[in-house]
Amino acid sequence: MGQIQLTDLTKRFGDTVAVDDLSLDIDDEEFLVLVGPSGCGKSTTLRMLAGLETPTSGDIYIGGDHMNYRVPQNRDIAMVFQDYALYPHMTVRQNIRFGLEEEEGYTSAERDERVVEVAETLGIADLLDRKPDELSGGQQQRVALGRAIVRDPEVFLMDEPLSNLDAKLRAEMRTELQNLQDQLAVTTVYVTHNQTEAMTMADRIAVMDDGELQQVASPFECYHEPNNLFVAEFIGEPMINLVRGTRSESTFVGEHFSYPLDEDVMESVDDRDDFVLGVRPEDIEVADAAPDDAALDDHDLQMDVTVVEPHGDQNVLHLSHPDQPSADDALQAVTEGMHLVTRGDRVTVTIPPDKIHLFDAETGTAVHNRRHDQEADFTQLEQ
Amino acid sequence: MSQSSSTGNFDVASLVEDVNLRRVAQYALVVFFLGFFLVPLETGIMTAIKTNESVARSLPFAPPVGEGFTLGNIQFALEQLSGSFFNSLIMSIPATIGSVLFGSMAAYGLTMVNWRAQMGMLMLFVVGVFVPYQAVLVPLARFWNNIFPLARMIEPMVASIPFFQGYHAELVPLVITHIAYGIPICTILFRSYYQSLPNSLVEAGKIDGASITKIYRRIILPISKPMFGVVFIYQFTQIYNEFLFAFTLVTGSDAPAAPVTLVLPAIGASTSGINFGIRMSAAFLAAVPTLILYVAFAEQFAKGLRTEA
Repeated sequence: MGQIQLTDLTKRFGDTVAVDDLSLDIDDEEFLVLVGPSGCGKSTTLRMLAGLETPTSGDIYIGGDHMNYRVPQNRDIAMVFQDYALYPHMTVRQNIRFGLEEEEGYTSAERDERVVEVAETLGIADLLDRKPDELSGGQQQRVALGRAIVRDPEVFLMDEPLSNLDAKLRAEMRTELQNLQDQLAVTTVYVTHNQTEAMTMADRIAVMDDGELQQVASPFECYHEPNNLFVAEFIGEPMINLVRGTRSESTFVGEHFSYPLDEDVMESVDDRDDFVLGVRPEDIEVADAAPDDAALDDHDLQMDVTVVEPHGDQNVLHLSHPDQPSADDALQAVTEGMHLVTRGDRVTVTIPPDKIHLFDAETGTAVHNRRHDQEADFTQLEQ
Repeated sequence: MSQSSSTGNFDVASLVEDVNLRRVAQYALVVFFLGFFLVPLETGIMTAIKTNESVARSLPFAPPVGEGFTLGNIQFALEQLSGSFFNSLIMSIPATIGSVLFGSMAAYGLTMVNWRAQMGMLMLFVVGVFVPYQAVLVPLARFWNNIFPLARMIEPMVASIPFFQGYHAELVPLVITHIAYGIPICTILFRSYYQSLPNSLVEAGKIDGASITKIYRRIILPISKPMFGVVFIYQFTQIYNEFLFAFTLVTGSDAPAAPVTLVLPAIGASTSGINFGIRMSAAFLAAVPTLILYVAFAEQFAKGLRTEA
């Protein structure tokens, strides 16, 4: 019922292209998160879905019906706005009821009942007679949600609904939203620029940049098998390490180090020469400094720790090359919180060959992603 | 207990310590300007309650003494003005409501609804603000007297309404003129307010299935209440105090439909000279409706100015 199809969707505002030839299928009851930096066209896409913007070209189907020319009311959707857009002069009850007024098939008493029912689901039944400005941010958020679910739509559209909440409440509401979506089994399109929200809530993530869709995949896949440099950089905190360099024979030569490439990596390299090598900070292994260079493996490097950021459960290390203590760090690594390293220490850094990503330096497309043997990965998790 | 001790411990010495030249100068300036603004007002009130003889003999701002005090001036002025008060109010209240309401609607349409040629329309409104009164006087008089003599057409109808006389029909063209002339400025004022409102309110309304008129009626209109206060006061003062249109369309202070502004210059003036007491009384009486309005809408006014800034 609530499956959504976007085909070749384009939106231009004058000369600027906000959304460029976007095609996307969203399954019924799926939780899809549209994520990207500001101005990437994610909100415009959502607003086209809602019927607040008309696409320049392309088609929108919801539940198999063509939606381009339908007014928002007839699309069977509900939207939660970033600023909640609660009507300030109405009580919570009136706010929630407003959307029901134009719905057919309700008597006045049934409408009132439905409002109370929804308020109870969200735990705001005791706030029904208050005005929005007497509520806390979290409560306002709930009212905004109530206004959306009261009409029992097929599709929820959410435009950065959690960005106005403080960090603790945001985490709480995140879980609550997921539970609610599960309970109601409504297709949800959720727009955010916050990659944590995207990773934690989504069934699938659609990463957008500059109006173009970069990748649509599960959070797991986006993280471990990014389509291109943009996705690799955008997803993951701390950011993936990226090193520019060239290939000579079967060795990658970067600014700070050279790194031999495995055979299976070489297979996918073809005859390209300029690359960006990527490795996730937590995949880098950090050990005590080796006594001399002879003890080093091909994949090992000697590095100095310039900054240590303790997070409690983990430490983020900023590393630089001992011979070139340049201002910018060569690499960042994540170690376990109990692994104590101090600033200025010399360490041996291992970049495991099966964990590296290679991107074409010109186009940014992924040439090789980390060896992704699911079996092996999961056994590791179970340990 | 704590209260009594706090008053008991009142520190006189600290008061003296706080006195310095800067402060003294500051307060002197305040007192000077207070006097500067209040003395004319006080003089006016004093003149209004003095007999003609007392006005001539005492200082302008001195209060009346003994026989010099009278309420006769006010009484006389009230009698002279009562008819025109009624005229003024039945003219300015509908004209204000009309122009404010239409102005708000136009602003809503120009700001929060998307359609082609919006910018051009807005320019027309802006131009409307700058059309000088003097330029339209002759065409206006010709229109309402010769081309479309509305006042003469509806005179019998107006006469049949209780409390109204046939000549009140003359005010109807004036009301319409004021509404037409007031819409542009009201629109511009409301527009700036509506632009400051979050667009998502209208969008939420659209998603909730409300039509454009329902969004206006149920969401925008109630939200713009503070702005209504501001524009209403402004527009009422403008229309109530307006002279040129009234003079052109109603013609003359002796016309029975003349509003206060037309009658005021004639009061207290006669061949034997000017009676300042009566003049002052009339002037104060004429200002009373706008004062009442300011007091009544003070809260809305302050709120509106705050939200606008």
